[in-house]
Amino acid sequence: MSAASNHNWFDTESGILDRRIFTDEEIYQEELQKIFGRAWNFMCHESQVPEEGDFFMNWIGEDEVIIVRDREGTINVLLNSCPHRGNTVCRAELGTTKSFVCSYHGWNYDLNGRLIGMPSEEHFYRNPMDKNDWGLTPAAKVESYKGFVFATLDPEAPPLVDYLGWVGRLGIDFMAAQGELEFLDGVHKNRVQCNWKLAVDNVYDWYHVKVSHGSALKIGMIGEESMAPMDQMVLLGEFGHGIGGPGITEEMFQESVARLSGSEGEQIWYDRNVRQRMKPEVTEMLGPVGKRSFGHPNIFPNLWVALTRQVCLRIPRGPYETELWWFNFQPKHVPVEQRQNAIFMQNHLFGPAGILEQDDGENWSHSTRGAKGSFARTRPLNFTMGKGQDQVLHDESGQSRIETVVNEHGQRWTYQSWQEWMNAASWPELMQNHSLPPTGEI
Amino acid sequence: MARVDAEPLAAADGRNLTSSYQKLDMQQRMLLKFEVEEFLFMEADLLDSRRYDEWLECLTDDIHYWMPIRRTTTAREVEREFTKPGGMAFFDDDKSVLALRVKRLAIGRAWAEDPPSRTRRLITNIKILGYDGEEVSVASNFQLYRSRLNSEEDNWIGRREDKLRRADGGFKLSQRHIYLEQTVILSQNMSSLF
Repeated sequence: MSAASNHNWFDTESGILDRRIFTDEEIYQEELQKIFGRAWNFMCHESQVPEEGDFFMNWIGEDEVIIVRDREGTINVLLNSCPHRGNTVCRAELGTTKSFVCSYHGWNYDLNGRLIGMPSEEHFYRNPMDKNDWGLTPAAKVESYKGFVFATLDPEAPPLVDYLGWVGRLGIDFMAAQGELEFLDGVHKNRVQCNWKLAVDNVYDWYHVKVSHGSALKIGMIGEESMAPMDQMVLLGEFGHGIGGPGITEEMFQESVARLSGSEGEQIWYDRNVRQRMKPEVTEMLGPVGKRSFGHPNIFPNLWVALTRQVCLRIPRGPYETELWWFNFQPKHVPVEQRQNAIFMQNHLFGPAGILEQDDGENWSHSTRGAKGSFARTRPLNFTMGKGQDQVLHDESGQSRIETVVNEHGQRWTYQSWQEWMNAASWPELMQNHSLPPTGEI
Repeated sequence: MARVDAEPLAAADGRNLTSSYQKLDMQQRMLLKFEVEEFLFMEADLLDSRRYDEWLECLTDDIHYWMPIRRTTTAREVEREFTKPGGMAFFDDDKSVLALRVKRLAIGRAWAEDPPSRTRRLITNIKILGYDGEEVSVASNFQLYRSRLNSEEDNWIGRREDKLRRADGGFKLSQRHIYLEQTVILSQNMSSLF
């Protein structure tokens, strides 16, 4: 049990952040326990492990886990560490297997993580040992929402749907709204020399596009009207989830519907999205406000749901290093050409060779470096954009939102929530002391 | 757009040479290999010296430039090591995409290459896999060293399977398949060309 604390690294009154949170080793170790050790962490999509014995490896903080489908069809999440000496029992990053065998002494485990065999058990273990006590440690809970599998190591964590809340669920609904999804084989993985939170902070950052991605805009890889629009919508959810980015008004939505229903067809960049969202079942799923958001969701702590049918996980590798994993999806039933075009964008925008994302890593790594100097680290960081200038608007559906211009509401909400996680000693305490999404002036 | 006609990783031991290449005598093979080497060294030089527009000139209009994603698998499932053509990849470019990558570098604000990286390509173990009188299939090993800013280093080592097609009295590159020896790319980007 970790202790409650009263850190004020992020001053919610002023919007000023203490940049030590990007480099301090002690803070990082505390994050592994209090953030990753408690949160519902994204593991994989159900279609990545469709059959008995299919497995995929992922991480919860710096703990490696095996995600494997068992004989009953249940997906288990197991700590990849043999209870005998701690060795890993699986070293492939994906595959299909009947069991997991430790390469050190041969203890072996079934697809539920149960210890089923130890070489020469009867000869050497003359003292009785109950094998039921010595299986691979399972995650406390494994649940999925619309095919996306999450796990938590904390038995006190609330159910996944409650954890996600309407904002986190909406983030995944943006994916689900595209039809029945299948995972495309191949996760793009690379390492950036940055603190994981800087990559997360960037999810909401529609200020950097014209500068960071100026070259991609100039060559026409991305369009300025869709990537740097003025009209923005921000949705903030309990426990740190958020969606930030382009949003349109109900009037614009209806005008788009009229264009698409009449002879005009697609004229404006969001018409294509509206075509999908005007379907009654999708409108119903996303809600009257959600259907008008084309922003970037972050499922707290570290899962970005991109608009390109991709999700990007930002896995911490120490305070100065982060692995970026891109999971790619396509709807099952789309014309071949549409599918190929979509795959083309997935391969060419993001990932280490992605024409868009190439330029992000250097900014994040140099921002991290900017917190290393003993003097630099004493200098505050400014997260004040638009602070106090906007109103949270209510909707009878319950979908509260901010409709404004480019802003830093999402980033402030992330650091505020992160700090509450870090100050709480346990899930019950976090439940008591976390901020509800803001109302009124923000 | 990406083509989907890529081949699986060919055997690297030279036992699968096409018959037309095997019909060549030793001297003809040496001359062909010399020509191939000259081309590969020349285009590596163009990239090292940041003469990207000239490098583009070395490519056929129908080039397929591809780097699949590689995974750690058990020995038993090693056929799953690489992603398949037409699916997810780090590079799956035709000439127009390569031209976009080059154009991006020229117009400023391509921060991953501004200030420009310093690169050096070592091309070695060149082995001709086949020749039909028009197109040479050639495998080579490479080391691409990148130094960036004051102290950042990247080292990419791998194998390439190229096709060089006879054109304009020399060769043009019509295929480059790149097999990197990394699964998690240990670099914050791959803004270099291989």
